[in-house]
Formats: sequence, structure tokens, C-alpha cells
Amino acid sequence: MSGELLRAEGIGKRFGGFVALEGITVSFEAGQLTSIIGPNGAGKSTFFNILSGALSPSSGTLHFKGCELNGLPQHRFVHRGISRSYQITNIFPDLTVHENVRVAAQALSVRYDVWRNRARLAELGARADTALHAVGLLDRRGELAKFLAHGQQRALEIAIALVSEPELLLLDEPTAGMGPEETKDMVALLERLADRRTILLVEHKMKMVLGLSRRILVLHHGRLLADGAPDEIRSNPEVRRVYLGQSEGYG
Amino acid sequence: MTAQSNRAAATKSVFGALDRFGDQRVLLSIAILIALPWLLPSQALAVNVLIYGVVVMGYNLLFGYTGLLSFGQAAFFGCGAYVTGIAIGRYGMPWFAAVASAVVVSTILAAVIGVISTRTRGIYFSMVTLALAQLVYYVALQASSFTGGENGLRGFTVDRISLFGLQINFLDPLNKYYVLMVFAAAALWFQSRILNSPFGAVIEAIRENEQRARACGYDVERSKLLVFMLSGSISALGGCMLALHLSIVPLDILHYQTSGMIVMMVLLGGARSFFGPFVGAAAFLILEDVISLWTPHWQIFVGAIFILFVLFLPKGIWGTLLETLPIARPRR
Amino acid sequence: MDLSLIIMQLLSGIALGAVLVITALGLTIVFGMLGVVNFAHGAMFMIGAYAGLYLASLTGSFWWGLLLAPILIGAFGMLIEFVLIRRLYGRSIDDPLLLTFGLSYVLVEGVRILFGSDGIPFPTPSQLIGVVDLGVGFFPRYRIFVIVMVAAVLVLLWLMLEKTRIGLIVRAGARDPVIMQVLGVDIGRVWLAIFGLGVALAALGGVLAGPMRSVNPEMGSLVLAEAFVVTVIGGLGSIPGAVVAGLLVGISISMVALVAPEMATIVMFALMAAVLLIRPQGLFNVRGRVA
Repeated sequence: MSGELLRAEGIGKRFGGFVALEGITVSFEAGQLTSIIGPNGAGKSTFFNILSGALSPSSGTLHFKGCELNGLPQHRFVHRGISRSYQITNIFPDLTVHENVRVAAQALSVRYDVWRNRARLAELGARADTALHAVGLLDRRGELAKFLAHGQQRALEIAIALVSEPELLLLDEPTAGMGPEETKDMVALLERLADRRTILLVEHKMKMVLGLSRRILVLHHGRLLADGAPDEIRSNPEVRRVYLGQSEGYG
Repeated sequence: MTAQSNRAAATKSVFGALDRFGDQRVLLSIAILIALPWLLPSQALAVNVLIYGVVVMGYNLLFGYTGLLSFGQAAFFGCGAYVTGIAIGRYGMPWFAAVASAVVVSTILAAVIGVISTRTRGIYFSMVTLALAQLVYYVALQASSFTGGENGLRGFTVDRISLFGLQINFLDPLNKYYVLMVFAAAALWFQSRILNSPFGAVIEAIRENEQRARACGYDVERSKLLVFMLSGSISALGGCMLALHLSIVPLDILHYQTSGMIVMMVLLGGARSFFGPFVGAAAFLILEDVISLWTPHWQIFVGAIFILFVLFLPKGIWGTLLETLPIARPRR
Repeated sequence: MDLSLIIMQLLSGIALGAVLVITALGLTIVFGMLGVVNFAHGAMFMIGAYAGLYLASLTGSFWWGLLLAPILIGAFGMLIEFVLIRRLYGRSIDDPLLLTFGLSYVLVEGVRILFGSDGIPFPTPSQLIGVVDLGVGFFPRYRIFVIVMVAAVLVLLWLMLEKTRIGLIVRAGARDPVIMQVLGVDIGRVWLAIFGLGVALAALGGVLAGPMRSVNPEMGSLVLAEAFVVTVIGGLGSIPGAVVAGLLVGISISMVALVAPEMATIVMFALMAAVLLIRPQGLFNVRGRVA
């Protein structure tokens, strides 16, 4: 579609003596869904945390739309257009569903205003409802988030990330802990979202990833093992070797 | 039967409205404060409830709404009182200028303590705020030429207050109560405004999930600093009221026992509820009054009751009441 | 300035710091293990001093007081953990803190009821009265004893941490019940023992401090602030941190007292503020955990 959105160059991360990531160089085009897969401990989450600013890399540089991101505090990443969801449900449990999303929308415009009435910022409320509609939660908007079912909380999580209209949406295992029904709903949601957005997905479920993604990256022991279209990945001998005997687990 | 259920509904709506968003909770709270001298056994008690209610309300912004357990609120309460007294007694300022400068100075103090303490989280934050507030205590103890040291600050008395050309005899207890109530009303209105504001949503988000708030794009540290300052300024206003009321400032006001008392009051009343701080202040002070009638060792009972609250009634009197009466608290 | 005066003041600082070390250690070990900061720690220090005084006058010997008071108060601490604090595990981290704060009210007022509100002098044991000529000056015998005593307790603690099973658990800082089960440990008992140990250390600090400060019901409040400052500087949960920071604070207080006595109580807070600005996790907190 359009040009390069995000480029990672030689990204590495060490925790003390432990090398979690090494020499990841990869660039992402706008407008497609890319998945990152790999066995447990492959460095997916670390890479993801670096891309979203939660961790800073030990080496290498990140460029987003041509601007370097290194050294930027995490909360600024959203303002640049990178938004994320979490692997474990990470919402505001004692706020309503609507307020969960509304407060996320507010983060881009009004942060330190102690004077105006927030109810008057109608545009933010409308945007929150649009995001809730996109994930199919509009009818639950008045409930406290902690009372939602697990799958709905995951959808809420995505709405929170979505409402900032990110240019790059990072989703960390959106189907983690879901039953088959909920997973189906989530896949449908992801397919809808992928139509118009640039999404980077970390996922465990191989079959789901193969169906959804235009491009797949495989991480193994902190290194980039393979990078290509789903068909190439499927037939890549090294990937098969890494996943050998685990195929059931990733069905 | 119908009368009864009507009355129940009426009670519910009154209770609910006291906590509801919007101006009605401010107006209702003020109405209760207007009636307070007649609701409580003594006017002396009423004025103390008023003052401590404001102090605790400021603290509630920090602890109840943002989830930051500070043990140093006495620093701002005391700073407000001391600066008011010094400004009037030493520099001969009129009372309103003294109050204004006290709030400004206390807010600056809150900024300084806040910059250091909001760099820490969780239990660290409680310990650091306690230690820094003790620092303020020892500074006040040492700077005795300014503060009167151990004897407390004396030598300033406000006996009359002119308000819009009206001369009010401030020595009359009821006049004093209603003048001070104007401060309380202003604080209630300001607090309600903050809670309704976009920033009010930010602090709630931080309380609910700090990590997520950061990922949403909020500068959590800076937001904490701002709420720390707002909270300090409201509690400082309570300090100003105390100085005007007592005409002395005891050194103990800065001690961490006072911070602890503020924490106890907010918990007795119910953290995170709008009118809870006044209920908590009243509960604590009534408890103190009643128990000290038959023993000077009231603190042992207050401590024990507080322990029971932590164990069995963590939402406090008001918070539990709001929850038990099934009022749908409107949230957006 | 007179060199011998400086050396004497340094030694005083070490003696003062030694008491801080013992007290802060109790706080930091309990936090490292249970994740609880005991806000009644200062009150425990205070009732330790009273218990030492009472037991000493009962038995006629300071030494029985020194031995029995920490055991007695430690047992009391275990009771508190068992009856009150245990109920709060799994709730907000604020709750144990609030509860122990309420407890400190009860303890302080309880002591006022039993012993009165006024300070009581704590007599120095007869064997330790007087001064020792150190060549550069005369130094109180009792303070030398305090330094030696604290050093001995540190060695004992070190042996316990290095050589025993419970020490292994404490060093691991393991709060995870699953890991504890894997190790085959009854976590409830470990918590009980550690809390008792922490309180016993506070009580020991109280007894040791007794002859150096007068004993009164409010003495715990300054101690609590001091112990907080020391643990924040050293890094909460870090044992070497508590030792180094305790000595650092003790020496700073006593050195500043030499040049500007009115700044003596203030300097430790300034030290803490400086450490927080430069290294918010404390000097020795290797894990970089900001509680």
C-alpha cells in the first residue's frame, strides 16, 4: 500500500547477563497485518515492549515515520501514533466500559485540565462509543468493566488501544485464555480491523496467524528466524524444525 | 407502607445526591454544613468537623481518588496554619491576604515534597511522605524565632473580619462558624470541579491501573505531582481555617500523628466518597469527645476502632452506607 | 577543628547508627519477606525499651532485660501477625500499613496507661558506667558496648541467613507461595517467624537505646521516621543497605551536630531526599524495585 511506517534496526535487549533479543532488523509497511510468532521465551514480548516504549532497547534504533523513538518515554508513544493492548487483561476494572475508552481518548487532547466539566467534552464520548461499536461492546457501555466476561474484557482492551486512532496498533495475544467461541469472535474482529489499519500481532495460535496475516515474523532465542508471507513460513524448514512436535499446541 | 417506602426512597435520593456528580452534591453538602451547629451537640465540635472535614477532603483527593496513601498530609495542613498566623501576626497582613499567601506557600511546599515523593511508588511513597513531613516538623521546631518552636505560634488574633464592608465579630462562635463555612463551601466547590474535570478522570485511571494509564498516553508522574499539589492546597486551606479559629498554631499540627489522624478520618468516613471526609471527621471527633469523658486514654480506643475498620469495614461509614443502600451511583 | 573531637563524634555517630541499623534491619527483613511495612515498628521499639526497663528492675539485672525483652516482644509480634496481619494478605498493600498504624496508637496509649506519660530514666548497667580512654579521648563505655553488641547481632544474623534454611528463604526474598511449596516450606510459619524476628530486632534496638535516650511513650515516633529514612536510603528489603545506610545516617547526624546542632535532626531527611532524586530505588536495591 503505502511506504514504510516503522523500522527497527539492530534491536537488542539484555537483562543483566541474559540476552533476550539480538540484532533484530525489520521494517513494517503501513496498511497490513503482520504477526510475530515464536515459542515461549523467544523474545516476542520483549520485542513488543520495546516497540511500545515500555522497555528501552539495549542496542539498536527505532524509527517511526522517519523519526527516531529511542529515549522517548512510554506515555509519548501513543501521541506519536503507536498504541498497544496487553497479553493479560489490562483495563480499568472499577470504571464503566465507556469511561475506560473515553479516558483513553482523552489522553491525546486534555490531560491536566482541572476546570472544565468532562461531560461537556462530548466529542470524546462520541469517539469512545465509536470504538466500542467497532469491537461490539456498545450495548455494555454502562457496566463496570470488571463485570464483563473475559472475552469482552479483551475486546475492551482493544477498544482502549483503538480509540487513539493509532497508525500502528500493537496487539499482544488478543486471544490469550479464550475459548473457541470467543476466539472466533476475536478473529472476526481482527479481520475487520485489519481492513483499514496497520496491525502488529503477537500470537501463539499458529493456525489463526496463518489465516489472518499478510506477513509473519518468526522469533527464536531472541533472533529473527524467518520473515515472509504465510505460505513461505509454512514451508520454511527451520520454522518446521522449531515447531516440530509442538504442532498440536499451536493448532 | 407506602409512606415508609417513600421515606426510604427520599433518604436514598438524598444520600445518593450527596455523592452524585454535578453541582447538587456541592449544594447538598453545604446545606448540611449550614445545619451542622444544630445537628451536633456543641458548636465547638461543629467548627472542628468543618475544619478537619476540609483537610480530610483535600487528602481524599490524593488517597481516595488517586489511590496514593500519603502519611505526610500534616505538612500542608500545618503549613497553611503557620503561614496564616505568621502573615497576620508578624507581617500584619489582612486575613484574606494571609489565607491566600498561606495556600500559595503550601502549594509550593507540596510541589517540592511531591517532586521527591512521586518518584516512588507503593509503600515507598507512604514512607517517604511520612519522612519528608517529619522534616517539615523538625524545621518548624528549630526555626522557633518564626514559629514559636515547641510552644506553638501565638500572638495573632483575628477578632473581626470585614466582608464586603460588613464588620463581623469573629469572636462570636456562630459568626466564626459561618465565616469559616464560606471557606469550606469554596473548597467543596473546587473539589467537585476537579472531580468532574478531565483531570479527575485521569487520576481515577491512575488509581485503577497505573500501567494502563501510562500506555494510554498519560504522564503518570506529572499527573501525580499535580494531584499532590491540589490535595495539599485544599488541606492547607483547612490549616488556614484552624489558625483563624484557634488564634494559635500548636506544633503538633505538623506531627505525623496528625497525618495519621487525617488518614484515620478519611477511612472512618469512607475514602473516595464526596461527603465521606466530613462524616469521618465528625465520627473521629465525636469518638474522641465521648471517650475522653470517662478516660483520658481515648487514643487506645480510637486505635482499636480503627483496626476494626481496616479489618471489617474498609469502605468506612459513609462508603458502606452508600453501598448498602442500593443507590445506583451514576457513572459515566 | 580538634581532631580528637572529630574522632569521638564519629564514634558517637557509629553508636547511634548501630541502633538505627538494628531497628531498620527489622523493618527491612519483614518487608523483604512479607511485603509489609510495619508502621508500628517505632512503637515496638518503644515497648521494647519499656519491657527491658521493667524486666531489668524485676530481675535486678540489665542483662536479663536485654535478653528477655526482645524475646517477649518478638513473641508479641508473632501474636500480632497471627491474629491481625495474616487476615490482610492478598488485600491491598495499604491495608497492613493502615492496620499497624492503628496498632501503634493502641501500643503508645497502652504504655501511657501502664507506665504514665512522663519519661523514665533507664539506668546504665553498673558494669558499663563511666568512660574508656581510647588514647585520643574518653568515650562512654556503654556506647562501646552498643557497637560491639550490634556487631555481634549482625554476625549472628549473617550466620542465620547464610547457614540456615530460613535464611535461604529470606535471601531468596521469595514471596511466591508456589515456590515455597516446591521448597517444601510452610509459608505461614516462615512469615510468623520473620515478623517475630523483625519485631524482636526493634525491641532489641529499644533496649539498647534506653540508656542513651530517656524512655518515654513518644520515643517510637522519631525512631519510626529514622528507620524509614534508613531503609529508603539503603533500599527497602536490602540487608546490606540497612547496615550501610544506618551507619551513614548515624554518622551524619553526629557530625552535623558538631558544626550545626540545630541541623542535626534535619540532615538525615535531606540525605534521603538527595538519594531519592539520584537513585529512587535506594543505594542497594539491586533489583531496581521501587516497591
